[in-house]
Amino acid sequence: MVDLGLLGLTMQHFIDNMVSIPLIQPLIDYLLGIPVIGFVVAIILWRPMFALLIFPGLATLMTVLLFIIWFERKLTARIQWRRGPLEVLRWAEGIIQALADGLRYFFQEVIVHRDAHRPYFLQFPILIFIPVLLPLLFIPVGNIVGIRTPYALPITVAIVSLIPVFIVAIGWASNSRFAYIGTVREAFMYFAYEIPFILAVVSMILVYGTADMVTIVEKQSIPGIILNPIAALVFFISTVMATSRLPFEIPEADQEIAFGPFVEYSGIMFGLVMTIAYEKMYILSLLMSVLFLGGGNGPTIPLLGDLSAVIWMFIKTMVVMVALSFLRSIYARIRLDQALRISWTAMLQISLLAVAIGVVLNLANVV
Amino acid sequence: MTEKELLLDVPVQPPTELFLPIPKKFLEEAYQGDDYLVLVGPQHPGSGHMRIIVRIKGDIIVEAIPDPGYVHRSIEKLAENRLYIQNIPLLERPAIMDTGNLTLGYVRAIESALDIEIPERAKYIRTVLAELSRIGTHLYDAGILAVFMGHTTGFMWPFALREPIVEAITRMSGARITASFVIPGGIRRDVPWNVLEFIRKTTFVIERRLKSFEKIFIRNPTVIARLKGVGVLSKEDAIKFGVVGPFLRASGVEYDVRKVEPYEAYEMLNWDIPVSDDGDSYSRFLVRVEEIAQSISIIRQAVNELRAMPEGNVISEDILADYSNASSDIRGYFFKVFGNLILPQGEYTALTEASRGTLLYSIISDGESNVPYRVRAVTPGWYYLKGFMEALRGERVADLQAIYGSFGYFPPEADR
Repeated sequence: MVDLGLLGLTMQHFIDNMVSIPLIQPLIDYLLGIPVIGFVVAIILWRPMFALLIFPGLATLMTVLLFIIWFERKLTARIQWRRGPLEVLRWAEGIIQALADGLRYFFQEVIVHRDAHRPYFLQFPILIFIPVLLPLLFIPVGNIVGIRTPYALPITVAIVSLIPVFIVAIGWASNSRFAYIGTVREAFMYFAYEIPFILAVVSMILVYGTADMVTIVEKQSIPGIILNPIAALVFFISTVMATSRLPFEIPEADQEIAFGPFVEYSGIMFGLVMTIAYEKMYILSLLMSVLFLGGGNGPTIPLLGDLSAVIWMFIKTMVVMVALSFLRSIYARIRLDQALRISWTAMLQISLLAVAIGVVLNLANVV
Repeated sequence: MTEKELLLDVPVQPPTELFLPIPKKFLEEAYQGDDYLVLVGPQHPGSGHMRIIVRIKGDIIVEAIPDPGYVHRSIEKLAENRLYIQNIPLLERPAIMDTGNLTLGYVRAIESALDIEIPERAKYIRTVLAELSRIGTHLYDAGILAVFMGHTTGFMWPFALREPIVEAITRMSGARITASFVIPGGIRRDVPWNVLEFIRKTTFVIERRLKSFEKIFIRNPTVIARLKGVGVLSKEDAIKFGVVGPFLRASGVEYDVRKVEPYEAYEMLNWDIPVSDDGDSYSRFLVRVEEIAQSISIIRQAVNELRAMPEGNVISEDILADYSNASSDIRGYFFKVFGNLILPQGEYTALTEASRGTLLYSIISDGESNVPYRVRAVTPGWYYLKGFMEALRGERVADLQAIYGSFGYFPPEADR
């Protein structure tokens, strides 16, 4: 056995807290017996590391990015009497189109124009991955969770709220007219959805009486969407606004301001900033399935062990993401002032109503 | 020998002085006040290139100055060097789908000069072609309006719906877009019954698909939110600024050249002028949607009439003269008949209701040459450009695209 005595970590430490998958347990046992590979397997299957690397972390994030971009294009194409992506990997209906696009971006020149603030212009698209990826640490899937803390929900919301700040910074570093207008619009949209979004989350904290996401999922014998449907509605609309999907695709309106804050990017930098909205959508869909759809709860499949929660969570998240993708083909873009009016009147009112429901359920001690 | 890379030290600097086609005083005024100028275009995701210089106070448009001419093709000057008959393919170029109406206007001016009466069957077929073009243009404009508002489904569906119309025009004339089907004295060749039947079936396809288009785009709450009450042009303003066509009718003026000075088979057919009183962007769009329904009705009636008629004889005897055996198909006799067409001296004008509004062609002939002395073509886009700019006044900057789309403004047509 490899012993990392210096760090006080032994392989047993990881094995004690490992994801249990009865289906491939013999294989895992065999691999654990091999000197170096065994240690790597033990680390990967260590629950916090599994959350970080496999689900809901890196591997799933990449798969979801590949899939949802393809799926969105394919769904839109089907609605619009077209075929959509097809030529890349024809027998699979072009499913790796996003990968091909990414490769193309990778080999394109990254142009930094004269007026840009060069260091920030190049840094921010990479730095923005910090607030985009950090929430993944706190989102639980069954008993797999990166960091379990009673403040998981406030931390997640706080980190998600940082993303627009980075987008505003990107627009500022671009120093272009379209980027400026897009940045202002992004800031306005941030004001529009932030308060209803936080109120919806607060109402759910009131309903469950805790902000620890693991406990929240455990308490959901009745899914949150039935307990407080209004909060679910507000959360969904806020997600649409936050990820700038149609009808709220206002900061990036390509017909009006040509992708707004991201107008000056090219090459792989454009590839990076383009995926931000999709990553944010993934985070918020995960959060929605934790808060309202019962997270990893579902009929347990004995053979899969801990993985059954992963599968249920994945299905719920994908349902939310597909619902979000569907909006693209049925709505037109509304105006900024109309979006602000909707959020500061109707949405604020129903989010206050959601908080009231939360208070009532909290006092009645339903959950 | 390996090739050496050469570095030429040519300093390239972008131009520092911006040319603006507006008075310098206006520019200074705008910069000294709270206002600022935004240049929209010439490249933008609409149809054709055109610049609008918008003077903005906050988020509100104070004044909009058009800068057209980016797609000017000088067809009026080109027309002075071509035979009368060669001008037909030239003059149908301005608008994409409007071949029927644009050629009809020019040909009717020639016919008024020669004072010839065209056969009944040709009149009905011309009407069918004109109405097919009208549906095609309105669908095209609906698609552009949708893409201006980011509604991609509303863009794809009308463009797909346009395809049966293009197919119908292909079966009639042999060309998808530029049919050049209307000639002085009639039409190029008779349209057989199976093609007429195809056109009639096409109208049912379009009618059925338009119902689903209505659900996803026309009655879409976000579309209504973007268009209703935006870019209002009152009845008085619409008349004052010389707005034409469906956009004039959307402001409550019941004027349609097809009713006022009927030509072709329009007075024999039963149809209405769709009118709206609101004068906003949404009613400008709805009037055109209703016009599609009227056009479908016109086409069905005309096809029914055509079925009862004997086939053949679609070119007037007056113009064929000795070549009367070409009366159902001009092929082989085209330049014999039209090569030496000379109009009597004078000025001849024809008003036509093209898809986007009144179309004026004026031909001046010196009476001795086989090319026109002057052809004046005023397309509807040029007529309603002023009204379009006035409708922008007082609206938000984000509404510019919606108003642009609601006017169906098509720069290649307006610039000619």
